[in-house]
Amino acid sequence: MFAFWIAAAALSAGAAGLMLRGSRAAAARVAGEDPALAVHRRQLAEIDDLAARDLLPADAVRAARAEAARRLLTVAGATATPGSVSDRRRTALAVAAVTPLLAVVLYLASGAPGAPDQPYAQRLADWRKADPATLDPPHIAAVMRAIVVERPTDAEAFKHLALAEMTSGDAMAASAALRRAVALAPERADLWAALGEVFVAEGDGEIGVDARKAFAEALKQDPTSLSARYFLARADIADGKLAEGLAGWRALLASLPAGDSSRAGLAAEIAAVEKAGGLVQAQPAPAQPDAAAIRGMVERLAARLDGAPDDPEGWVRLVKAWSVLGETGKRDAARARARGLYADRPDILRALDEAAQ
Amino acid sequence: MITELGAFALALALALSIAQSALGLLGGRRPALAGAGEGAALATFLAVAAAFSALIVAFVTSDFSVANVAANSHTAKPLLYKVAGAWGSHEGSMLLWCLILTAYGAAVAVFGKGLPASLKSRVLGVQGLLGVLFLAYTTFASNPLARLIEPPIEGRSLNPLLQDPALAAHPPFLYLGYVGFSVVFSFAVAALIEGRVDAAWARWVRPWTLAAWSLLTVGITLGAFWAYYELGWGGWWFWDPVENASFMPWLIGAALLHSAIVTEKRGALSGWTVFLALAAFTFSMLGAFLVRSGVLTSVHAFAVDPTRGVLLLTIMAIASGAGFALFAWRAPALAPGGVFAPASRESLIVLNNILLTAATATVLLGTLFPLIREAIGGETVSVGPPFFNLTFVPLMALALMILPLGPLTAWKRGDLRRGADQLKVAAIVAVLAGATAYVMVSPRKAMASAGLALGFWLIGGALTEAAVRVKAFRAPWPEVRRRLTGLPRGTWGMTLAHAGLGVFTLGACFETAWKVEAAEALAVGGQLRLGGYELSLDEVGTVDGPNYLAERGVIRVTRSGKAVCTALPERRFFPAGRQSTSEVALCNRGLDQIYIVLGERRAAADGGPAWLVRGYFNPWVQLIFLGPLLMALGGLLSLSDRRLRLAAGNRP
Repeated sequence: MFAFWIAAAALSAGAAGLMLRGSRAAAARVAGEDPALAVHRRQLAEIDDLAARDLLPADAVRAARAEAARRLLTVAGATATPGSVSDRRRTALAVAAVTPLLAVVLYLASGAPGAPDQPYAQRLADWRKADPATLDPPHIAAVMRAIVVERPTDAEAFKHLALAEMTSGDAMAASAALRRAVALAPERADLWAALGEVFVAEGDGEIGVDARKAFAEALKQDPTSLSARYFLARADIADGKLAEGLAGWRALLASLPAGDSSRAGLAAEIAAVEKAGGLVQAQPAPAQPDAAAIRGMVERLAARLDGAPDDPEGWVRLVKAWSVLGETGKRDAARARARGLYADRPDILRALDEAAQ
Repeated sequence: MITELGAFALALALALSIAQSALGLLGGRRPALAGAGEGAALATFLAVAAAFSALIVAFVTSDFSVANVAANSHTAKPLLYKVAGAWGSHEGSMLLWCLILTAYGAAVAVFGKGLPASLKSRVLGVQGLLGVLFLAYTTFASNPLARLIEPPIEGRSLNPLLQDPALAAHPPFLYLGYVGFSVVFSFAVAALIEGRVDAAWARWVRPWTLAAWSLLTVGITLGAFWAYYELGWGGWWFWDPVENASFMPWLIGAALLHSAIVTEKRGALSGWTVFLALAAFTFSMLGAFLVRSGVLTSVHAFAVDPTRGVLLLTIMAIASGAGFALFAWRAPALAPGGVFAPASRESLIVLNNILLTAATATVLLGTLFPLIREAIGGETVSVGPPFFNLTFVPLMALALMILPLGPLTAWKRGDLRRGADQLKVAAIVAVLAGATAYVMVSPRKAMASAGLALGFWLIGGALTEAAVRVKAFRAPWPEVRRRLTGLPRGTWGMTLAHAGLGVFTLGACFETAWKVEAAEALAVGGQLRLGGYELSLDEVGTVDGPNYLAERGVIRVTRSGKAVCTALPERRFFPAGRQSTSEVALCNRGLDQIYIVLGERRAAADGGPAWLVRGYFNPWVQLIFLGPLLMALGGLLSLSDRRLRLAAGNRP
């Protein structure tokens, strides 16, 4: 705080010094002639110069000289009586003294006196020194991010990073970390299984292609992997292969030791699936065509119109489709482009507006 | 401590600006005060520079206790974009604006030794007042050094679209141009206070106008280039309100450059020149208001957080209102200048000014109409290229048609027929080129061919004018050489700028009329036909960037079986902001470019992955960016003319 005010005072003193120096230099300057005279004289000289180099025809030289000379005389006449000049150095001194005070007032109103700098490197060092038990997951993730930079070949470090990112709610960062981990240690089933779980979390519970691949890899490395067995069986059930999925779960249940805490949950899940004839958790209604498929169709339409834009009905359909999909940005872009194409067709413009509703 | 010292420096700059304006305005006849005002102008700039440095330090060290850093940076961002992040946000860009504003003030104080003391003092006073307005706004309404009590662990990162070298440089150039007009504004207000607007004044104003206009040209070109290759739509100008906001001061600046020459050479048009000087910075401020207030996203967004927008509007109303009120009061008393005949260079420049101002008015209308319409409760409308093609383009076409005649017509009383006679060759070349384009290039486009003719007319006109000046083909070589080396740089600057405009016109007309597009979803191994070229998607791999993951396509471009180039377009994903951008691949083919965009991955008909590949063949597109650079170069060449250095004060 003390150092801050010393530095602030130095800045202020420098500024006041510049003002006083300027004031002293200006007061010492002798009032010379009006610089406008120099400009006009220079203009005359230029005309002569151009004439001498034969760059200006003779009649133009005469006219230009006469005019420039007239302007020179006008200025010379007007500046014959200089205004009164008085010395106001004391006023300048007062302004130079008051300005820093004003600056302090303005700073106190706008700044945060005493707030220290908090560069990231320093905060990170503090977190690393702290007892990990006192840090919350996002802080642990930040520390782990720094550690994996130092130990780029340590698969275990990436796994911890992924864990911290996952508990901080960043599934995407977690999957990125685990991808690095499995690349470093492809023989570790636990890493593959963890990667699969993160993919499942990213996909809101759906076991997608990437997740299945990861679990399959985990199972290849370790046929007893509990997590991989559980999710692959679940994927079977989701696909409608009820018997195979349930068989997988039952085998998993049988292999769990008697005292295992997850037994009860799994048994309940098996019972629920048996009763409902499928996964109990709400899945999107299967009658609807796949949202991704719809999107693909719309994007194909957009691509076609991009290449061959002369298709008013196509544009209306595209605007409508983006509108239904809730893609307002793409809808507006398509609409704007179509409006440009059919600016002279009010019927199409109206149809576009209706489609965008 | 560095951040808070920066915040103190910003407050000190505001206090110094207040001192500068008072000292400058009172110092007109009091040298001691005027001198202190000059010192204050220098100190203000140094103080803002200190604040700006503190902000850059906060960005580079990722100090997330600074709210602006937390909102616009990220530890994983490359260093260049950490630094550029300092002006990537609203608050930071306002500080950059203040930095440049005060830098121009300091430049007047340091380089204005050849100016009359009273004029210089008042210019600095007015510049100080502008500084007070913008520094007060920055300090109290958008302080980039404002702190957070609970800094977040990680920053929210800069919009990835802005993480681009051209866009890192775009705002500084744009602001150097925008804010350069503040000096011109200050000169105009100071001259109105003094009641003296004459040839000498016009000469003092000209270097600042030239500098501002040239830098603005570079800024706009960088922006257009960025839009061209970063947005991935293959276009370079969209008549978007943000673009129009920068284009209007450019047009007015171009008009001012020309009318100031009339005032300087003939002492005429002084009132009009002052008016344009006031208007140029008004349009700069309007641009800042439009871009920075949020009013462009929607007038409703503006209504949600009105403080900043209303404040910027108030600043503009105060500064321009006071300037124009002073103009209305004092302009009638300005001495009339030299007379000129209807057929003279002055008249042609007046015509040029009328057309440029009318063109600016159409851009203003096209930009503000949707806002006004929405504000009074009408539906949302967008004004696009069709409007500007019908209004702006014909006006500019007319201006370009008369342009080559101007430099070949004498001052005061000229002979248009003689000028037209000298331009015969240029006219024949232009008509032939236009006709050739109409016949040879398919599909046939009359307007675009006429545009090409216009481009050749401008280039031919500029070369003719230079040839006439050096008496090429009419005098023996030694004399031509003597004239070549003897011509002032300002003349070459003009030739370069006018030819650059022609080069731009060629590129703009050719590219707009005859670009070819093709798009298709391709699986690896798929092919797309683009005009005479074949694009084959050979493979798609993944790339780990410093702060992004990307899919990179390897696209082989061939023409009748012969390899042309290998394009590597990318689709980048930035996890920090969860945003994707496309990185366009460009293949240069002489003046043309093949422009390739890799779209998102999707499922092909057989279930395998496919990518939407879009290709554009953009003929002569390089001229679109080369032309304005020639214009800017022309401006800077004129600026280096020794005759103008007198104005800057190096030679008393």
